[in-house]
Amino acid sequence: MRNCLLLTAILLTFGLAGVCHAELKVVATLSDLGWIAKEVGGEHVEVSVLCLGYQDPHYLPAKPSLARKLRTADLLVYNGLELEIGWLPVLIEAGRNPRVKPGSRGELECALAVESVLDVPTGGVDRSRGDIHPLGNPHYLLDPRNGVAVGRLMAERMAELDPDNAGAYRQRAEDLAAYMESHMDGWKEMLGDLSANRAIVYHQHWEYLLEWVGLQEIGAIEHRPGISPSPRHVEEIINRGRSTSGAFVIAATWDNAKISEEAAERMGKPLVTLPGAVGGVDGVTGYPELFNFICKQLAEAAAASLKQ
Amino acid sequence: MRHAILGFLFLLLFVPAAISGQSSTASGVSNKMNPALSVNGLFLAKKSQDRHGVEYNSISLQEAEMHVSSVVDPFWKANVIFSVYPEDAGSAYGIGVEEASLESTSLPVGFNVTLGKFFVPFGKHSPLHTHHFPFVDAPVGVRTFLGEGLTDCGAMLTATLPLNWYSDAVVYCLDGSTETFDAGSTDVSFGGRITNFWDLSENATLELGGSALSGPASVDYFGWGGRVTVYGVDLTYKWICGTKSHGPALTVQGEFILPDLSGDYNQPSGWYALSQYRFHHNWWVGACHGMANANIKTGRDDQDLLSVKTRESKLNLTFAPSEFSALRAEIAYVDDQVEDIDDFSFRLQWNFTIGSHPAHRY
Repeated sequence: MRNCLLLTAILLTFGLAGVCHAELKVVATLSDLGWIAKEVGGEHVEVSVLCLGYQDPHYLPAKPSLARKLRTADLLVYNGLELEIGWLPVLIEAGRNPRVKPGSRGELECALAVESVLDVPTGGVDRSRGDIHPLGNPHYLLDPRNGVAVGRLMAERMAELDPDNAGAYRQRAEDLAAYMESHMDGWKEMLGDLSANRAIVYHQHWEYLLEWVGLQEIGAIEHRPGISPSPRHVEEIINRGRSTSGAFVIAATWDNAKISEEAAERMGKPLVTLPGAVGGVDGVTGYPELFNFICKQLAEAAAASLKQ
Repeated sequence: MRHAILGFLFLLLFVPAAISGQSSTASGVSNKMNPALSVNGLFLAKKSQDRHGVEYNSISLQEAEMHVSSVVDPFWKANVIFSVYPEDAGSAYGIGVEEASLESTSLPVGFNVTLGKFFVPFGKHSPLHTHHFPFVDAPVGVRTFLGEGLTDCGAMLTATLPLNWYSDAVVYCLDGSTETFDAGSTDVSFGGRITNFWDLSENATLELGGSALSGPASVDYFGWGGRVTVYGVDLTYKWICGTKSHGPALTVQGEFILPDLSGDYNQPSGWYALSQYRFHHNWWVGACHGMANANIKTGRDDQDLLSVKTRESKLNLTFAPSEFSALRAEIAYVDDQVEDIDDFSFRLQWNFTIGSHPAHRY
């Protein structure tokens, strides 16, 4: 009798523990992907993020504690287009989890959802062009339409790995799409007409955003990706900015603030420092909030630049 | 004659078919299956003066390394590293296989097997490739007992321990033919390592490792030819600014090595402490101090051992304009009782990496 009670207690303990646990453990490389995975998975997933919103995803230190997150993962969702090439392979190796190794159903390159990849290099690709991404610009999540497509892609993979909740994943992805699409017109209204403005970026991080909002870029302070700009190049960009009406400078929170601030000041143009991802600054706790924040900041900078 | 003509016609018919068949096999000649390939070149210019005022000047290839890596099949991936290094004071070059190993990719969660020739996971510094050293050469406390990098043939099992922090345990068995061991001995070597990592904050980590390696000692390294067990403990603190790309970063690292000769000899030991700090986007400054107490054999008898000390201090400045090239200036002072030299040197080291080089571990 005593043994029966003990067995029942053990079964209840583990049974309840099982009830409390999510069906899928998802690891997202980026905070944007983590937010989308949570939205699509709802209560059926437990999501952890490797690169926080304020960290530059090109250079994340591959800490073993991050590999530990991968060890128990059922699904790894990553940006792709080689954005994470400097650290994700090391973490996957250290995580020693065959469920999420390359080629398995537990790993999902979200770039597969993107219809049009920008800045795919033409001609020969070598490092004389800096830390160029040979497969194209990987910062596609800065176009909210791509976030919607990624949500649908995630839903399909979650449905495959957890068929019992397939309907819920697909429904939540559609709900997310409807929510984002209902806000996109509002964000564009907030921005207004940007055809008289020009953007000078620090790093070519914003190409998808600029295309979506209809803002033309006229140069990058970082001449070659990942390489500190030469004083001569910075001087050229400053001259270009000075002579262009409606121009302003866009930098990410992790970019070299000293160079961006000095360049904007010498141009006499506004500088807008934007979060590169969800969690990049206080208050940007979700993907919609990211675009709210970005559009508000861009609108202010665009208006200020036209007054100068 | 008729048979010969028939045979010739038969060959004409079937050989081209066989050749075309070879090029269309499932595992054929697609470029997409090519392994990742990279080459690293490491050069060193050195100007030094010993206590007798004798100058030594040199410019040499310190090491060139070719790294080939690829997935083999669903179960393994492979790493092969060829190295070219100077011999006979730089007048000739040798080629060696630094690493040639298979690593499992499909074992159950947390386990990993490595077979072949690999860097022995002893301590923190010894498993590093030469181009990844934080200083021009390995600390004296390490190179005295483990050489510039310990690689050997064998098998290694790694398991992640189910703890609340990241903890890895490694056990391995080696042929025991590296320079540290007595290559003439038929005894195998074996060892293990346990590594623990804790996140002190989002940006700071602490690593504590313990290593042990047992094998037939090389007289050149230990002054004694019996079995030796080398113990090591290492502690590393790292802090990297999380909010800025290429922002400030600090590493403080120390390692203590204790060979146990299980005899009545002077206890050898080695240690070092180093620090590196990135003070600007591309600029690092580093300092290292270390010591080795070793035995050298002075006669035929095993008891004819002389205990000697080597001390060294190094300071360097590194400019790394990208992840793929670096220029390093270093001053080093070595007080070496083994070679009876008191050497002050200035070194200039430069290196490049081309191709697809795998990312280094944290």
